[in-house]
Amino acid sequence: MLPTGVRFGTYATEGRYIHTRLQALWFVAFLLALGILPHVVGLYVTGVLTVMFITLMAVYGLQVTVGMAGQINVAQSAFMGIGAYAAAKLSSLDVPFWLAIPAAGVVAAVLSIFFALPAIRVKGFYLALTTLAAQVMFPIIVIALPADWLGGTSGIAVEPIRVAGLELSSPLDMYYFTLAGVILCSIGAFNLQRSRFGRALLTVRDNELAAEVTGVDVSYYKVMSFFAGSLFAGVGGAFFAYYIRYVTTENFNLLLSIWYLGMLIVGGLASPLGAILGTVFITAVQEVFHAFGGALLTAFPNLGGGLVFATSNVILGICILLALIFEPRGLAHRWGVLKAAYRIWPFPHS
Amino acid sequence: MKPYKLACQLLMAATLGLVCAPAMAATYVMSASADFTGPFADVSPSAVSGIRAIAAWWNETKGKDLGVDVDIRVHDMRYNAAVVASTWPSILSTEKPIMHLGFGTPDLITLMKRLPEDKVPMLMSTAMVGLVWKPNGWHFSFRPTYSHEFVGLLNYLQKKKGGKLVIGALSTQTAAGFVDQVKGVQKFAEVNPDRFAMLDVQWVDASPVSVVNEVRTLVRQQPDVLLVGGTTAQVIATGKALRELNANIPIIMSTHNGLTEVEKGIDLKEIEGSYSVFAFAPDNQEKLPVRDLYNKYHTGTGSWGIAAAQSAYQTLLALRILEKAIAKVGKDNVTGQAMYDAMLSSTFTEAELMESLPDTKFDTTAPFPVGKLKVKAQVVHDGKITPLGNDWIPVPDLPKW
Repeated sequence: MLPTGVRFGTYATEGRYIHTRLQALWFVAFLLALGILPHVVGLYVTGVLTVMFITLMAVYGLQVTVGMAGQINVAQSAFMGIGAYAAAKLSSLDVPFWLAIPAAGVVAAVLSIFFALPAIRVKGFYLALTTLAAQVMFPIIVIALPADWLGGTSGIAVEPIRVAGLELSSPLDMYYFTLAGVILCSIGAFNLQRSRFGRALLTVRDNELAAEVTGVDVSYYKVMSFFAGSLFAGVGGAFFAYYIRYVTTENFNLLLSIWYLGMLIVGGLASPLGAILGTVFITAVQEVFHAFGGALLTAFPNLGGGLVFATSNVILGICILLALIFEPRGLAHRWGVLKAAYRIWPFPHS
Repeated sequence: MKPYKLACQLLMAATLGLVCAPAMAATYVMSASADFTGPFADVSPSAVSGIRAIAAWWNETKGKDLGVDVDIRVHDMRYNAAVVASTWPSILSTEKPIMHLGFGTPDLITLMKRLPEDKVPMLMSTAMVGLVWKPNGWHFSFRPTYSHEFVGLLNYLQKKKGGKLVIGALSTQTAAGFVDQVKGVQKFAEVNPDRFAMLDVQWVDASPVSVVNEVRTLVRQQPDVLLVGGTTAQVIATGKALRELNANIPIIMSTHNGLTEVEKGIDLKEIEGSYSVFAFAPDNQEKLPVRDLYNKYHTGTGSWGIAAAQSAYQTLLALRILEKAIAKVGKDNVTGQAMYDAMLSSTFTEAELMESLPDTKFDTTAPFPVGKLKVKAQVVHDGKITPLGNDWIPVPDLPKW
């Protein structure tokens, strides 16, 4: 819903995300806030935000595959791992980061095609199982490869990012570096859904038969949804590799894939905004719960730390459950409702 | 107040400060990783209690004599590399630690590349893995690799038995560290073919429901021991499978999946004769001065056991390194670099380490002690965990794999 008086002369104008000057001002203020934030919140929260941006890149990818194309994917963490390994390998070959990061995305995207092929024939739980196979196979294959390829069991070290001879390794450097990355990914994610490619994915998700009748090559777009989704994951993995500076298979496990899926479901599958809100919400829940759990353990030491760990996973489950019961369209829909209610206030909004 | 009076007071305060300064204790921070809300949350309180008790003892005795106070700052890293990466910069800038007491693989993989630049050495209590066996690091453990520890016991058992020792192994391929353990032992068997034979490794889930089929495959080949260095769940499943198959083969495990942990899930009588092996004194060793110190200085949560023992020994070694550093650079000039230099240039004797560790010497070639490595073990005897003798078991040479 837009303020009175806003009208569109062309389809392109209508398609824009920012329509009014006030919206533009809010957007600029938001970007400025992101720029100032690390100077206000301290190094630990800066680190948490950096990891959150990286996570968001992977969740954007999941939004393309699951949200836009309706294809189940429980191997996003493995695709992220492929990107991380690719970036690590390229960095060891002295390939500059600006080339290594997109290349890592492409490597993850290309490899994802092998696991996307079953999507042509199967769907739902069956497709979930094939992607699960990708997640399980990822560490086994990496470890089994000759050690001089990807480090085998040892893992692989990543050279720090260098720009004009300067090394970017401080928390602030990495924050701004990943912020730049996530902004680029956001531009990609938000524009993808209103492109020809994005509309084709939405059609495949809504009705495969109708999509085929209207000339959409369903098989092709199903595979390409994995390609595009894994491209984001691969880029996220590359950023993760440059952040941690050491890559092993243990950083990319099934639990992470499930968390990413949970973030998307809680945020809302339908738009990249859902990916943002879900990632921010779950990260905040994790951090708050962690702080609360720590305080609880200090106050009641006999509780046992295992309980806190188990409970944090239960809480994720509860969040997903509540989202599915009360707001199946996710926080993004709730955000839309709130915005509309604010705009027509004091009139009621249903 | 008149200006000259104020000046006089300031001068007196400054003089007093200068006179008192040398007598004041220098305080140094040692940061430590723990996992209070992650997968190892149940053992962390005991592990941290070991660190705190030994630090309290040292501050009250040796520290007081030297005029140095050590402040231990424990951080909940959740056993998560991303949390370590987020937390470490703030530790570095706010606490300026002279040493970090590390815990597990997330600390290793996240910090090993940064420590040489940050000039903070890290001392681990968990065993090393081949994946970080690289020169010139600032990450160390008082324990060698898991493979070294296993090989020490295997060598002992082979000598006791005579002839060829047949080793069966069961592990998981989804964790690089567990694969690495097996590879090290395979390498050892490969270079000693007349004394050891390694059967095909049975790869199973990290938390298997049943491993009867895999264990049956091994049992048919009549192994002398079964090596299960992965998870506690794997050891329990192996024990149950052996009972089901009516086979009596000792299982060899480490500390993270050792007898103390396994005891929670299976009656030890069912795995009679099985071993935990590690490169430090068992927590239930008859004479153990560190345990006496722990009992005297322990307050709060946690209790003595293998986890507390490991971290107590880790802290004891860290504090002995600090003593050597103070002897070299003076009590007011200790830095991470001074700790690193003291660590590499000194030998820490078994007596200095209160019989908790063997003579320990580090150099730049490996992230664990060099020279004659030694281990000790625990064995299930009459359904109880007992130390396997009082003497250290020498570890034979193990080439890099």
